[in-house]
Amino acid sequence: MRPDPQTHAQTHVRVWDLPVRLFHWSIVFLLCLSWFSADQGYMRVHLVSGLTLLALLLFRIAWGLVGSTTARFRNFLHSPRRVAEYLKGLAGGDKIFYAGHNPAGGLMVVALIAVLLAQVATGLFANDGVRFSGPLALLVSEDVSTRLTGIHGLIFDLILLLVWCHVVAVGFYLLVKGDNLIWPMVTGKKHRSYLPAELNIVFTRLYIALLLLAVSAGIAAWVMIQGDL
Amino acid sequence: MAEGGKFDHLGLMNIQADTRRHFLGWGAGGLGAFFLNSTMAGAAPAGENAPLDFTRDPATPLSVLPPQFAAKVKRVIYLHMGGAPSQLELFDYKPVLARFHGHDCPESFVKGKRLAFIQGIPKLLGPMFPFHRAGKSGTWISDRLPHLEKSIDDLCVIKSMKTDQFNHAPAQLLVHTGDPRTGHASLGSWVTYGLGSENQNLPGFIVLISNGGTTANAGKPLWGSGFLPSVYQGVACRSAGEPVLYLDNPKSVSRAERRKVLDAVDEINQQTYRTFGNPETVTRIAQYEMAFRMQLEASDAMDIHREPAAVLERYGAEPGKTSYANNCLVARRLAERGVRYIQLYHWGWDSHGTPVDKGLNVGLVGRCRETDQPTAALLADLKARGLLEDTLVIWGGEFGRTPMWENRGGQEMEFIGRDHHPNCFSLWLAGGGIKRGISYGETDEMGYEIARNPVEVRDLHATILYLLGFDYRRLNYPYQGLDQKLTGVKPARIVSEILA
Amino acid sequence: MEDRAGLSGRLSAAAYFGCVALLTLAGAGLAMLARPAFAHGVLRTLGLETAPQAQSRSFYATRVAPLLETRCVSCHGARREKASLRLDSFAALLLGGKHGPVIRPGDVRNSELYIRISLPASDERAMPPSGKPPLTEDEKTVIRLWIADGASGALQTIAGAPPPVAEVKIPQDDPAAAQKQRAALAQSVRRLQARFPGTILYESRSSANLEVNASLLGSAFGDAELLALLPLQARITRLDLSGTAVTDTSAPVLAGMPALRSLRIGGSRMTQVTIAALRQARALKSLTIGSGQAGHGALAPLLEKHIAIYGGGDAP
Repeated sequence: MRPDPQTHAQTHVRVWDLPVRLFHWSIVFLLCLSWFSADQGYMRVHLVSGLTLLALLLFRIAWGLVGSTTARFRNFLHSPRRVAEYLKGLAGGDKIFYAGHNPAGGLMVVALIAVLLAQVATGLFANDGVRFSGPLALLVSEDVSTRLTGIHGLIFDLILLLVWCHVVAVGFYLLVKGDNLIWPMVTGKKHRSYLPAELNIVFTRLYIALLLLAVSAGIAAWVMIQGDL
Repeated sequence: MAEGGKFDHLGLMNIQADTRRHFLGWGAGGLGAFFLNSTMAGAAPAGENAPLDFTRDPATPLSVLPPQFAAKVKRVIYLHMGGAPSQLELFDYKPVLARFHGHDCPESFVKGKRLAFIQGIPKLLGPMFPFHRAGKSGTWISDRLPHLEKSIDDLCVIKSMKTDQFNHAPAQLLVHTGDPRTGHASLGSWVTYGLGSENQNLPGFIVLISNGGTTANAGKPLWGSGFLPSVYQGVACRSAGEPVLYLDNPKSVSRAERRKVLDAVDEINQQTYRTFGNPETVTRIAQYEMAFRMQLEASDAMDIHREPAAVLERYGAEPGKTSYANNCLVARRLAERGVRYIQLYHWGWDSHGTPVDKGLNVGLVGRCRETDQPTAALLADLKARGLLEDTLVIWGGEFGRTPMWENRGGQEMEFIGRDHHPNCFSLWLAGGGIKRGISYGETDEMGYEIARNPVEVRDLHATILYLLGFDYRRLNYPYQGLDQKLTGVKPARIVSEILA
Repeated sequence: MEDRAGLSGRLSAAAYFGCVALLTLAGAGLAMLARPAFAHGVLRTLGLETAPQAQSRSFYATRVAPLLETRCVSCHGARREKASLRLDSFAALLLGGKHGPVIRPGDVRNSELYIRISLPASDERAMPPSGKPPLTEDEKTVIRLWIADGASGALQTIAGAPPPVAEVKIPQDDPAAAQKQRAALAQSVRRLQARFPGTILYESRSSANLEVNASLLGSAFGDAELLALLPLQARITRLDLSGTAVTDTSAPVLAGMPALRSLRIGGSRMTQVTIAALRQARALKSLTIGSGQAGHGALAPLLEKHIAIYGGGDAP
């Protein structure tokens, strides 16, 4: 039986804005694309994929300052003590719900953004020893570029590790706690029973997101042009 | 000579250094530094290309400087056979090609290739003259060089030279300046820049030409100084009459009067230098002074009348004429007098088979007759005087000739000839530091491609500079934001297999 | 209303993390398989495996390894491991890379390494990749013969292998060391250079040896002038006295120069008296004389010492 839309509206609340959702799944796609293109040697695709990632990461950081309530860093970044407390509570079976990212999730978000930024940054200076080099590779000596390429390779392993942790965590919530975090990241809406009673989510206008995205894209484009000089 | 103003070498280098390349380099580097920790950014330039210091008092630009490391040779005599002598008729014996003489050439030889004059499918042309093994080393040589044959055990014949230029002017420029375009410094200029010249009364780089005017093919840029200071350019001397035109004083002017004129000109030039600070002015002063000293010494050096008759006969030299033989004898005299780089050009080897003079069966025969005896005499003479042990003698052209019979415009021709062939050519070396009596490199059985041990022109240059005591990467000169090298930007290989 | 927010928890935490652990181990195992070099490295560190080694005098060590070092290791070594392949050690070479082993001992045609280096330079998969010079015929032959003979780490010579090419070693510049060596005589050198301009030169920028070309001074240079050079005699390797006024009086001086390798006396006033005295010269390797300066008899003792004699023909 199809759910009654009106009832649905009463039971489900919008928690994730569109920019955050688009950002999340774009990253998933671009990570796969970057990995595949590097592996198969399609370096131009890898370059564009990496630069798009750069633009999106810059956007997300800006959005984390002026975006919707659940998007803002200050609403999900907690002290390490708080994170530890939360995890202990989770293990103990506490039923404390968060509208946006929970403390552990918040930590994961920051870790992933930081590591991805590092990956993009090292990638800009990397070279494959033969034909291809990142747009900023010529600004440093060959030795430095090679070292950064090595680091780029190591960070890739770290990304894989973090992504695995992230998937395991989301799986835990889904299969053990019964709290589906995936679908809300698609639709933006979560069932009331998995949300705290007091909700106060403010959504920032979409045009601001578009503005920030345009600036981020501009920066990424400028970086790309450096490589053509 | 009046003392000039102090030469602001450093100031000039500073001005010359601020090129567009440098501005862009600094600009981008500055931005990059925003992103990176300063400990990672900008490593020091690699030591292996660090330039050597060739600063000299500009009043004596040809003063001797020691080489970078112990040299095997002190001077070079380069015998360039202009027009490209046919290796298939002189040094590269191809018996299999002989068997296919007259057959159509394989399509792969011409398909997709740029050829100077051949069109369609030409016939294959076997060697026109018989070959045999000569000397103790058993090196192959044709019957066209009976005199040179006697010195075959002193030669190192390279049969696998290769170039990428198939026309005369750019190919000659590549061989002598390291770049097919004009504007680069010639080998002789680099050598005199790096080492100076032992005799301050003669130019350090002298050019002698026979069988052609001075403007054949690539002309004066072949011995030009390019971006190096102009004092290092080659001076083309004549072996008949005045060594350099207008060198001698006019009949009514005595040497003392000439001295007074020079002193006056000198003063004016010094004033110009003080006003504008252009180092070329100081060089010009030095060149006037050199010309003055040359008046005495050059005429003496180039005057082969003084040689005993036996020597003249050995070279086949005839005083008063312009000939390759005369030039070879002059070359030996210049070598004895401490001239650093002696370049001989003998034109007319372009055996296309068009006019009779350019046929393999006529023109080449003539060229061989003109050059064989004098070349052999020069080698023997240098050896007898103990000069060969520290001289490098080089003989060669600018590219090879095709194993195909040239059919200009697709027509069969009256005289036999071959077209230009950059893929492989032969060249020999003799003298200090070179292995004696060997052949290096091989071409395939048809003489079309190199089969073993290719030697690029820049590899030859690197080897020559090594024998003179220089790492080719460090004999460089900053110009247009690049540290220019004779060998250009591609890496070169010193051909260790031919070194003694 | 039906709870569309998600499934209610089905698994216990223990069961879930148990599955995760299994999956993680499986994944790690797959990763190890994908990087055999890493896997073997782990096994070897644990002592469960010993890496194959090549003997130091083997054909591999003397011919193959240096070749790989110059041509391949910059991208397939410690600095960079393209395609997870390292070619900087015998063990790594046999191990292979991301796509498996690159050498099949005894089977050249199926050895990926040989296939790649034999491809035409225009082929995308050619090694070294475009931009780097391809291996020469001789280098390819060395690798081919080595693989064909079983990719051994012990075999010392292989029939038919082309002779090794000596790399030219450009002498290292050490201006500081040269300065030190020159220091002892530096002042004398400067003084004598001022007295005889243009005649005394260091052999090279990195050497303290001296070359003297007195021929430029002609008859202005005689026995007295030669004596003036005595302070430098320990370092003089080449001396050109052609056309000078030096006589037989200087014979003992010349014979006594400890470092003199090359001497030219043609056109000077020296005769076979000097030539006889030169029998005592310690380091002399070459002598150039002028016409009529010596009969063959005078030269014999020098020829016995394998000193190269030039000249004696026409006058310069």
